Amino acid sequence: MSHPEHRSAQRWIAGSALAFGVAAVILPLAGPAPLDLGRAWAGEEPDWSILVYLRVSRTLLGLFGGAALALAGSLFQAMLRDALATPYTLGVSTGASLGAVIAIALGWHVVAGVPGVWAGALAGAAVVLLLIVVAATRQRQVSALGLLLAGVATNSVCSALILLVHGLAGMSDSFAISRWLIGSLDSVEYPPLLAYICVVVMLAAVIGRQARQWNLLAVGEAWAATRGARVTPLLFAGYTSGSILAATTVALTGPIGFIGLVVPHVVRTRVSADDRVLMPCSFFLGGVLLASCDAIGRVILAPAEVPAGAITALIGGPYLVWLVRHRM
Amino acid sequence: MNPLLRVHDIGWHIGDVRILQHVSVDVARGEFVALMGRNGAGKSTLLDLVAGLRSPSEGVIALEGRSISEWSARDLARTMSHLPQMVHAEGAFSAEELVLMGRYPHSGNWIESAGDRQAAQRAMTRCGCLQFRQRRLSTLSGGERQRVLLAACLAQEPKLLLLDEPATFLDIDQQLQCFSMLREEAARGAACIAVTHDINLALTFCTRLLVLAEKTVATDASIEAAVENPAWLSLFSPRLEVTRTPAGRPWISYA
Repeated sequence: MSHPEHRSAQRWIAGSALAFGVAAVILPLAGPAPLDLGRAWAGEEPDWSILVYLRVSRTLLGLFGGAALALAGSLFQAMLRDALATPYTLGVSTGASLGAVIAIALGWHVVAGVPGVWAGALAGAAVVLLLIVVAATRQRQVSALGLLLAGVATNSVCSALILLVHGLAGMSDSFAISRWLIGSLDSVEYPPLLAYICVVVMLAAVIGRQARQWNLLAVGEAWAATRGARVTPLLFAGYTSGSILAATTVALTGPIGFIGLVVPHVVRTRVSADDRVLMPCSFFLGGVLLASCDAIGRVILAPAEVPAGAITALIGGPYLVWLVRHRM
Repeated sequence: MNPLLRVHDIGWHIGDVRILQHVSVDVARGEFVALMGRNGAGKSTLLDLVAGLRSPSEGVIALEGRSISEWSARDLARTMSHLPQMVHAEGAFSAEELVLMGRYPHSGNWIESAGDRQAAQRAMTRCGCLQFRQRRLSTLSGGERQRVLLAACLAQEPKLLLLDEPATFLDIDQQLQCFSMLREEAARGAACIAVTHDINLALTFCTRLLVLAEKTVATDASIEAAVENPAWLSLFSPRLEVTRTPAGRPWISYA
């Protein structure tokens, strides 16, 4: 571990993990209502409930949601060898949105014990993934270009179907759908939140362990295969875990774009393209970015709230353009 | 004793289109084989089949006496290395990161060992690309990148090197260095099979000539025999002939 690049990589990973931890402590303090920490600590209401049931849970959702989206982005970018790929490019996230919107329109509150929106989002993502993989498979080989093309097409179809469902829904459902489609963090109850965090952490561990194989795939499938990676099971694991990350996050936050694109891109240009560094840094910094955008959205026009999805796009878009102008 | 590589009566087709049939060739350690043929003759396909990237429709390919379908991907990658014709290596990886990828089959650990780093450095020195180890691939010229890719193959420390047009993008001096380096690898006991379109490069550095035509092996001869009996030249063009340089070395000229 004496290599200088290792040290700088370690510093980046440790630094972004630290930022993640600091964000978890500081961001719950931001919000429209005044909060007395002493009172909250003593368990006095309403400060205790505001802190624990509104702010902390929402911050955790932002941190792990952003982390999941950024990690999924970096994973899809490696597998498809395309810096613009995210679960949105493949239509997986939009499929999840469509499923969730259908669940709202049909008034499915609970399906098989899970909230209807979750079930809808997971089912939507699974159907899209299956469709594009079947469309892009020829002679038992999945073509990356085929996946991208099928994904772009599926994305448009799902967006159109969302508009259709939206238009056909009744007044109150239509309002709920609009609100959901903006992509925002809301306070979540702890049991589903903790389940979600467990899923994200487990998948992150599974994905992160294979970082060297994602590096190989980012150069080419033949390259990876002739360096000892088992490409087909690897791609299967990657697409499945990336889609679960995207779908569960969409289920809890609505569609939030840009995190999966901008965070890995910044880390790749500024720090390293090596997925052993890129993936953990993207994970932690993606979380920090989304949770921070949400905190900004809570206070900037208080008492009104700006959805986190709008802030990530407003900050991420111009920054990405700036980065492209100055680094190419 | 088994040859390092035995290709026995293989064929390959995609749908109804037959690309290769009845291809047999044995390659021993120490050989540097020039794999030649006109565009679309099936050179890259043959290399892909040997690399295990595709399975032959008929026949058997064996490495060290064992069919490659029985090898694990990792064992195979420790024994042979393949340089594909097209790789997506314009990305943000540094040259050294790419070369270190060649060490993956040797240890699946999360971090490469000091030994892995040394092997990568040796390979980069031999390919003349150590000086830009820290540079990102996107900042390298085509020839510089090609040398980095070659170094990544050498870093695998394989017994069999399969190279699809290794001299692409290289300037003439670099082409000569590349081929003399491969010749040295063969002299050290490895076997090399390189696809090339440059007949003079093949005659100067290789030990054996393998020409594909009509979906199969049209010529398989040592370089000396190929020069002695140059009928195979007509497979490429009717305008080629063997001449001699003032130093007496065979040279293919065109009229």
